[in-house]
Order: sequence, then C-alpha cells, then structure tokens
Amino acid sequence: MSSVLYILNENLEPLISRNIRALPSTDLPIAQFRKLYHPGSPPVIRGSHDTFEYMYQSFSYVYIRRDSLFFVSLVDNTVDIMETLHYLEQFYLLLKNYFTVKMLDKNLILDNPILVMELLDESIDFGFIQVTDAGLIKDYIRVKINVPEIDEKNKQLNLNGGKHHQNEYDDEDDMFGSESDEGRKKIQKQRRKLKHRSKSTTKRELGHLTKKVIQTWKGDKKKRGQLANDDDDHDGEGHDEDEDDTFMNSDIAKTTVMAISWRTKGIHYAKNEFYLDVIEKIEYYMDYESQTVRKNTIHGQIVCKSFLSGMPELHVSINKILNKDKQFLSSCKFHQCVSLESIEDGKEIIFTPPDGDFILCSYELKRHVRDQPIIKLSQFELKPKLNKFKLQIHCTVESHFKPTNITSKLNVQIPLKQLFKKYKIDLSKNIKSKCDEGKVLFNVSDDFLLWEIGAMKGGHGENQLSMVVEFALFNQEEYDRKQEELRTSMNPPPLVKGIKLEEIYQQIHADETDATEETPVPNKREQEKAQLLHINFEIPYSTLSGINIEYLKIEEPQLQYQSFPWVRYKAINDEEYAYAV
Amino acid sequence: MSDQRIFTRYKANEIRSELQMVDVKKMKSGVTKKKNALRKIIANLTLGNYSEMLLLLPEILKFWKIEDDMEVKRICHEYIRTIGSIKPRSTVESLPFIMNDLRSRNEKVQIMALETLVSIPFSKFTEEAFDFIVHLTSKKSVPEQLMKNAIYSLVQLDDYDHERVASLLNLLYDIVTNQIEKPTIQIAALNALCMIHEVDGKTQPVHISVDIAFNILELLPTLNEWDTATLLEILPITVVPQTHDDAYDMIDMVLPQLQHVNSAVSLSALKIVLYLLNYIEEVNQTIIKRLSNSVIALLEKPAELQFLVLRNVILLLLSREQSLLKLNVPYFFIEYNDPIYIKDTKLECLYLLSNEETLTQILDELEEHATDIDIQMSRKAVRAIGNLAVKLGENSAGKCVDILLHLLEFGVDYVIQEIISVFRNILRKYPKDFKSDVRALAKYAGYAQETESRNAMIWIITQYSDILPDYLKLFETFCTNVLDEAPEVQFSVLTSSIKFFVRYPSVETEKLCIRLLRECTEDANNPDLRSRAFMYWRLLSLAREDGNNVTNEMLKDIVDGELPKIELNTKLDSAILEELELNVGSITSIYLKPTSQIFRMSSMKSLPNSPVLNSNKSLLKVIDDLTSIGVSHSNDRVIGKNHKSIKNNKPVVHTMNDFDKPAETVNHLKGSRKSSISSPSKLARKPSMLMRKLTLKKKF
Repeated sequence: MSSVLYILNENLEPLISRNIRALPSTDLPIAQFRKLYHPGSPPVIRGSHDTFEYMYQSFSYVYIRRDSLFFVSLVDNTVDIMETLHYLEQFYLLLKNYFTVKMLDKNLILDNPILVMELLDESIDFGFIQVTDAGLIKDYIRVKINVPEIDEKNKQLNLNGGKHHQNEYDDEDDMFGSESDEGRKKIQKQRRKLKHRSKSTTKRELGHLTKKVIQTWKGDKKKRGQLANDDDDHDGEGHDEDEDDTFMNSDIAKTTVMAISWRTKGIHYAKNEFYLDVIEKIEYYMDYESQTVRKNTIHGQIVCKSFLSGMPELHVSINKILNKDKQFLSSCKFHQCVSLESIEDGKEIIFTPPDGDFILCSYELKRHVRDQPIIKLSQFELKPKLNKFKLQIHCTVESHFKPTNITSKLNVQIPLKQLFKKYKIDLSKNIKSKCDEGKVLFNVSDDFLLWEIGAMKGGHGENQLSMVVEFALFNQEEYDRKQEELRTSMNPPPLVKGIKLEEIYQQIHADETDATEETPVPNKREQEKAQLLHINFEIPYSTLSGINIEYLKIEEPQLQYQSFPWVRYKAINDEEYAYAV
Repeated sequence: MSDQRIFTRYKANEIRSELQMVDVKKMKSGVTKKKNALRKIIANLTLGNYSEMLLLLPEILKFWKIEDDMEVKRICHEYIRTIGSIKPRSTVESLPFIMNDLRSRNEKVQIMALETLVSIPFSKFTEEAFDFIVHLTSKKSVPEQLMKNAIYSLVQLDDYDHERVASLLNLLYDIVTNQIEKPTIQIAALNALCMIHEVDGKTQPVHISVDIAFNILELLPTLNEWDTATLLEILPITVVPQTHDDAYDMIDMVLPQLQHVNSAVSLSALKIVLYLLNYIEEVNQTIIKRLSNSVIALLEKPAELQFLVLRNVILLLLSREQSLLKLNVPYFFIEYNDPIYIKDTKLECLYLLSNEETLTQILDELEEHATDIDIQMSRKAVRAIGNLAVKLGENSAGKCVDILLHLLEFGVDYVIQEIISVFRNILRKYPKDFKSDVRALAKYAGYAQETESRNAMIWIITQYSDILPDYLKLFETFCTNVLDEAPEVQFSVLTSSIKFFVRYPSVETEKLCIRLLRECTEDANNPDLRSRAFMYWRLLSLAREDGNNVTNEMLKDIVDGELPKIELNTKLDSAILEELELNVGSITSIYLKPTSQIFRMSSMKSLPNSPVLNSNKSLLKVIDDLTSIGVSHSNDRVIGKNHKSIKNNKPVVHTMNDFDKPAETVNHLKGSRKSSISSPSKLARKPSMLMRKLTLKKKF
C-alpha cells in the first residue's frame, strides 16, 4: 500500500507530496531516497528501516522517471508493486492528459498544486487505487488549468536569438534557398497558428465537456441556472468566470462504483458518430553497410473516438480475430471496456465504449527480417570527387506497399554530421541538388538534409525515386588565389547576395566545437545516432499487417438512434524508422 | 497567472495580512486573491515550512466558517491534515468544523471530512471516525463511494486502535458474504480485511468459502479495472479450492483477464492461475501458451514495468523444475537503450533459458555484447558465456570456449581479464577438455591486473605447469611485489609457490619459495597471511626432517590435492519458490528471497492445505489433448455457467449474421435534418449521396 506519494523534480526535490498514511514527516523518507538513488538504479529501491524509528513497518521506494520528473511512491511490504508502478504510469498519463501537453515539466506541477492534489486524492484513497481514467476524472475535477504562456514566450525569444535547437524542420530561415525575411515571417505565422491551435484545443475540450453535460438537462437556460443554485452543495469547484462549469452530472458521482465504470449515464449527442482508426506504427532499423536488419516491428493501435448517446453496445469484427491469428491474439491488449469473454469466442469484440477518445486495443507484430520495409532505401552512396573538389550524395528510395495507395507524407532525413567532420565542405559555394520528386532542404543547425517527397505511389519495388546533392569541397589553391587577387586587385570584393551559409554555420557550431573538445571520445551510441537516416512517412488507407475491420455495428437498445461509424486505416513510421549509414 | 511566486517561503504575517486585506474588501475580485493566499499556505506546507504556517490556524478556521466554496474547503482540509499529522493536538479546535462537514449532505464533502478525521493520529478524531463508521453501517442506503471510503479508512484506523477495529471485523465479513449486489463495496471490504489481518500477523489469514469466491468471480466482467486487480491479487490463499473442479473453474473464469490492458490486472491474473495450478492434476497446453503470451505482451510496457515482469515472473517461472512458460529466446535479447537493470535481468533470463538447442542463438547474442562499448555490459556478457559453459554439458562448453578464445583476440584488456577469470571456472569443471587452450591463454598473463583475474591466472599457471614450459617465468611476474598485492592474490601466490616446490623440487623453486615465505612471515602485516606462511613453513620443515612419516607424497597430497568439480546452482529451494510464487508482484520476488529474510516481523505465506493440494509440483502434467478429463470437466462447467449468466442478465442476444447486408436500418435520418431522399434505404445504398449528406454535419 502506498504511504506517501511524491512528485520530484530532476534534483529529487519534492514538488508535491501526498501523505496518505499520516506519517509524521514526509521529508525524511525523501532525503533517504536522495541518498539511495543513483541513475540506473532499478525502479524498486529498498529503504533502510533503521533511519526512522517511527516507521512501523519496513518499506521501499517505487519510482518511475518520466520527462524530467520522478514519480515516487513510498510503499510498505504488503504492496503489489505491479499495481503501484502501473498506477504511477497512469497518473503520469492522467496529468499529461489534463494539461494537454506532450511533456510535463515542474512548472506545470508548481502552477497547479491544487489540481494535482485533487487528482491524487481522487485516484487513490488510503493507498487503494480507485480510478485513473482521464475521461472519468475530467467529469469530476474541473479545476481551471493554469498553463503558463511564458514558455511560449521563451521559445519565441530563443527562436529570435537565432539558436534553434529544436529539431523543427520548418525553421525555414535555416534552409538554403529561402530568403531570411520570408522565412522569419513564415515562422511567425506558424507560431501564431500554433498558439491558436493550443488555445482552441483546450477551449474545445472544455467546451465539449460542458456541452455534453448541459445537454443532459433539457430545460432552458434559466431553469438551469436555478437548478445550479439549488444544487449548491453539488456544485463542483465553483468557477466564477464560467457558470456552465458548475454543472455536474449527478450520475457521474455514481459511475465509479457501477458495473460499467468507464461510462456515465445520460450522455447525449445530437449526432451519433463513432470513429475507429487503425494506426500502425512501423519500427525498422537496418545497418545499411552490412545490410543487417535489427528491427522490423509493427506497433498497432486501434484508436477510437466515441460520440454516442446512451449506453450503446458495439460489435467489431476484426479479420485477425476471425482467422485466429496467433501472433495477433497473443500480443493484443484490450481496453477495460472490452468484454474479454467475447474474444474467447473468436468472433467479434463486444464493448460499451467510454465517451471520447480511447484506445480500443494495441498489438505488436514482429515481422520477418527478410520482409521488405514499407519504404526502402535502395541506394545510398557518397561519391567524393576529390580532384574536382566535389562531393556527391546519391540516395534512392523505393516503395513496398499496395500500388493503389499513395503516401501523404514522405520525408527522408540524411545526416551530415560525420560528413562535415570528415570533409572540409565549402559552404560559401552553392549546394546543388536534383531530385525526381519534391524538394531538398538543408538544415544548418542540426546538420541534415531533408528531402521532402510528399506523395509517392505504392508498388513492389518498381517505383523508385532518387536524388543527388552536390557539396563543394574546400579548395585551398583556389582560396589562396582569390585571397591574393583580393589583395592585389583594385576591384571591391564581389557582393554576396542572400544569406551567407558558411557564417551561419560557423556561428551555430562555434560553441559545439568547444564542447566536443571537452569530451574527446564521443559515445559510440551517439555516433551511431548521428549517423541515422530517418524516413518519416504516412500512408493512409493502408496497414502493413493486413488487419481489417470486417464490420462495426452500433446498437443502443433504448434509444434506437441512427449512428455513423467511421473506419480509417493509416500506416506511419515509428520513432525509429532508420538506416544506419 | 504565474504561480511561481507561490512556491516561496512566506512568513505567517505576510499571508495573514493578505488574507485580512481581502476581508475588508469583500469583493468578487477578492475571491481569487484570497484563494491565492490560501494556495500559498499549501505551497509552504509542501516546502515544509510548518512552524510558520501553524500560526495561521485561526485564519483558516475563520474561513472555514464562512466559506462553502469547494476549493477553499479542500485547502482547509489539506491544511488540517498536514498540520494534524505533525502536531495532532494543535488541531483540536478544527474538530467541530470537520464534524459539521461530516454531516453535510454532499457526499464529496463527507468523504473529505472522513479522510481528514482519519488522517490525524489523535484519539478525539479517531473516536469520531469510529462513531461515524458504525453509524454508517447501521444505515441502510449509504452512497457507495462513501461506504467504500469508510471501509478503507478502517485500515488506517487499525494503526491507531487495533482492538476497536478488530471488533468491527465481523461487519466487514458480513459485507463480503452478503452484499452481492454491490461488488465494489464487497471487494473493498475483502481487501480491508486482508490488509488488517496481514498487519496483525497473529490471527489466521482471511478465508472465504469457495461459493463466495465463485460469486465474486462471476462479477469480474462488471468490475472496474483496479477493483479487478485488487480482487485477483487477494484471492490466492484467501480461497482454497476443495476439489479439482473448483480449481479448473476458477482458472477458466480468470483466464480472459490475462489479456487486460492494465498490467496490474494481467499480472494478478497470472498470479492466481499459478496459485490454482497447485490444486489441479494436469494442465492443458493452451493454458501454458496463454500464460506465456501474456507475459510476453507485458514485456512491451515501459521499462519499469518490464523490469518487474522480467524479474519476478520469468525468473521465478524459469527456475521451476518444469517450466510453465514457453518463451522464445529472442525476447530477451538486449537492446542498446535498455536501462542497465533490464540488461542485467535479461542476461539472467538468457542464462536460465539456455539449453543445447538455444545455445548457438544465445552465444551469438552474447558475443556481440562482449564487444560492446559499455564496459560493464561487455564484462557481464563474457561472464555469462563462462557461466553457460559451466552450466551446460561438455559439447556446449566447447562452443563457449571457442567464442572466448575468439574474444581474446579482440585485445581489450578488461575483456581479457574477464575471460581469464571465467576460464578458471571452466577449467575447474572440465579439467581435461580444454588443456590445449591454456597455452593460448597464458600468453595474455601480462594483462591480468585486477584481483580476480590475477588470482585466476596464477591458479591456471600453477595447475597446468606441466604443459607450460616457461611456467616459472610467468609465475615470477606475479610474485615480484607480493606485499603490494591484494590479500587474495597474496594467498594464491604463496600457495602456488609451495605447490611448485613440492611438484618440481629444484634450486629455483626452492629459492622462490623461501623468499616468499620469508616475505610473508617477516614483512607482511596481514596476520592471516603470516600464519598461513608459517603453517607451510612448518609443513615443509616437517617433511625435511627424518623420522616423521611425512613423505613427499603426503606433502603433495596435502598441498596439491585433487580439486572437486564445481557446479553452478541455479534452482531455488522449493519451499522458497513456493512462497515467492505466492508473492508474485511484491517486493520479495524482486529480490528472490523469502519474506522473512527481507522484512522482520512478517509471516511466511504457504499454500493452504486442501484435499486436492498437489504435494509435489513435478506431478503436474502438461497435456496436449483437448479431450482429456480435466478440461472436459471444466468445459462442461463453463458452458453451464454461461447458461446461468445468460439467464440472469437476460441479455439481448445479438446475432451478427446480417453484417454483409447493407446497413439500412442503422442509418435512419430523423428529426429536424430532413433528407432530400425520402427513403433511408436509398440513402444507404448510394454512397455518393451519403457522403454529401454527411458533409453537412457540424464540427465538434
């Protein structure tokens, strides 16, 4: 049983702690944790009992590290560690979901201590885990989220300062070929868009919630107001600004103890829709030189979005289950709403979906090493022509998926770091490029070429696209001659229009060279990482595993409404879809 | 609003003045300011600024009186809880307010108040909490959430007043047996019971009858994920199957949970299946497959969870005499971004999994890691190869040794040192088989720098001096500076020199021997070394003297006797294994040690007796045939059960044989949105029209 829960920052200082079992002090245990922890220690650390006389039992620390935060639970020996670990993980996801961010940081926690406390309270009672489903808790706890805008401002400052360490390819002023002014404008536009988007999503989310709840009350506005006042005890965390927020669906409170705990009663939508997306992320890793495939895996997910009224029952049939695909069945994990018994029968999945977004199931399929990757790098060559002071990079990709499908996005990212180390590349001369499709961009700050192909037709190896990039190598002789010329001739030095790439490069990499001198032997792993040719792609309407939704049927016995099921498929690259070149 | 400012230490006065300022104004904008000030209090409590914050108690109480805003209330409760757990007495004044909240009609407030009461270790609060709980149980319609909280608060109260809680245990038993219609409450009660019993240690563990267990298990599909996890977690030991059929049925009911997305549920399901397997005669192949599959699926989780699975499930199951898991070796291949603790555990798993068939695969993998950039990792890989050679038979050892020799050429000093160390073990196990390789190894004698590898090298040189022509030269490199060596090396240098002398009595060996004996007796500070040197010296002089019956042969026997072969013990003791299996997922199984060794004052778990308990684990048969007795039994029962549940729930049985027909009835357009096409069936049949219709929809 968890006795104390902590969220620590990267220096292991507590940001929030929740004393569940009324221990006299929460600081002492964490001080010991600080001593015991070292990077790489396993997720369970035994505390030594002797330091605290008042501890009535022996205890251990269970922790996970996510983003820059530590989630630590102080547990006694009766605990099921799996449960605790899973809870910490879920709690982390819950927080992320609440803040609608991709990464948590300490400021978010510090800005919303009450919210985090409430979430802790709600998800765990006396050390017993209650609920961790974000969809449900969102109905309960509706504290306004305090998301700072400072972060974005900082980002802006950073960007304007000219040091872009984010791996955004769209920082177009870094790319050659576009003028800096234009680039900056574009960035600003994008940033604005970004801001707008983040605002609107949070708003939409809140709005969505309230709308849903309000619709359960079919009275007019005034009536609602009265009801709210009558129900003063019931009203959640009073929001002065937004009166709608004070509504709480009275059914919600009961939900957690009901049979179907993931869905509240009384949900109503004017239009009943259900979206089902089959998304397969493909992980692939190949050593190009030795042609050995190290990874070839499909990480599949069925992501659903439910906007259905009442208590519908859904039937989904998946070809893999019908055919009793062993690999699929063994690796597939289902959401808690799926009645696992229905899968036993081997026909269809029967479930009552939670409201909003959820992951119906996730699976993992290993592919044979010899199976062709969906996008294959068929040629990659460096052709140094030293006598001409030129260096060419040739690169060809070919597609291996159904010829009827087309990629909606396809980017090939070619690393240049090693290249720049190995050869002296003269950036003052133009970089020439030629490609069959799309365009080639050069990222100065992170040292890579980005080949944006966009749409590529499917096929079985017959469809190939290639490109060539030519860098000029530094020519000492010519350089000397020019210097000499400059000194002797009366002409002013030639005016260089546009951006001076070599200067930008120098600027960005100036501090880096210092850093590398300090650590002369870079890690082999990092070296390898710098040498990865990444391919990012997105292929709609296609799955690599051949998974297929045979039918999807929605039934709501009481309401008998008409409903719209939508099914989509998509194959995208996983974080690691790369060739080591 | 940036809340960064909140998280700084404040003086009580500062916050007080802030709160009072708000009082004066009593305006709406004041509300946020006031909340801000209150938040500062909480932040300061988190920072540990207790003494200052304690002074603010009167202010807090004042707010409590007038305010009924939830957030303010929450802050007040939080304040009392934190202060209360440190200085219980100082918070007595707040008791009436808490009691007031406890009587509130709002369930949430009630729960909050109860939690506050329970979290303050002071008799007055505890009394009130007890009274309230007793009052609750006597009432008929209590909100479930509140009831659940009350039940769990008993566990906490148990710390303060065991006697009183013990008197309430019957109530809990009552709930477990009778309140079938409220599964959550039932499980909460059962869980609380188990907790209280476990802490107590004196009373017998909780037992529930098989019937109740079946009743609860029937509810499994309707339970919330965490409740499911809790239930499956506590069922082992609390319920004892009385017949084989009971066990089979329970396994069948639990099996689907293995595929639950919540890893806590699937691990608990695994645990209970493992437990029940002790009560059946034979186990079906498919069950084993499903267990393995669920374990493998768990390996896809984040590193921390993966660690747990690797550590306490797989290691456990693999150390059984007869493995219950069928796992493929490649799942345990190490990936470069694994944290170090996972790498370690994976190596152990690989070691346990190894046998004649899988050896080549494993060795390939290990060889790759042996040349890894990570020093720790490559050492461990080399060590693992050596251990494999010792564990498996001679044929396999040959392969391992080939790889080790190959790695020697790799030429990195730490790899060589590690190889030397493991080679000693191999030679201890197979003294004759790899004699020819010793010479190759001896070339690398100069690399041995660390204690262990030096020690090993000395041993190897001594033991195989007959095939090493320049053994003495090699040996002398180790004994030039004996006094600076680590104690272990000093001992082995001494022993080896004696051995050489006894084996090949010559002027050189004698000189060396005498020199070392003198150094060890006269210059050494270590008393153990000195006394051992004296012992040898006396022994040698005894042999020199005539009249004793100590012959040279005897001396040889004493000093240079035959060594016993070594074995690597990989299996755990069966009693420990049994206990660990009952503790899957807990701390003990991570350390693979019995509970009593890790925690003082904890009782040992053992399998409860029952007429059908398997006395010997190896008796459990694994069968392929589906028509065998046990399974058919269970199948019958399951089918019967399905019928029952169907009758109970009266579900609408949907047949999906119409899925190939167009969805005419599904897509009715009704209400305000009128369709241009009158009949819905037309709409559905013409996809293009459908599309147009749908584009009208509003965005969410």
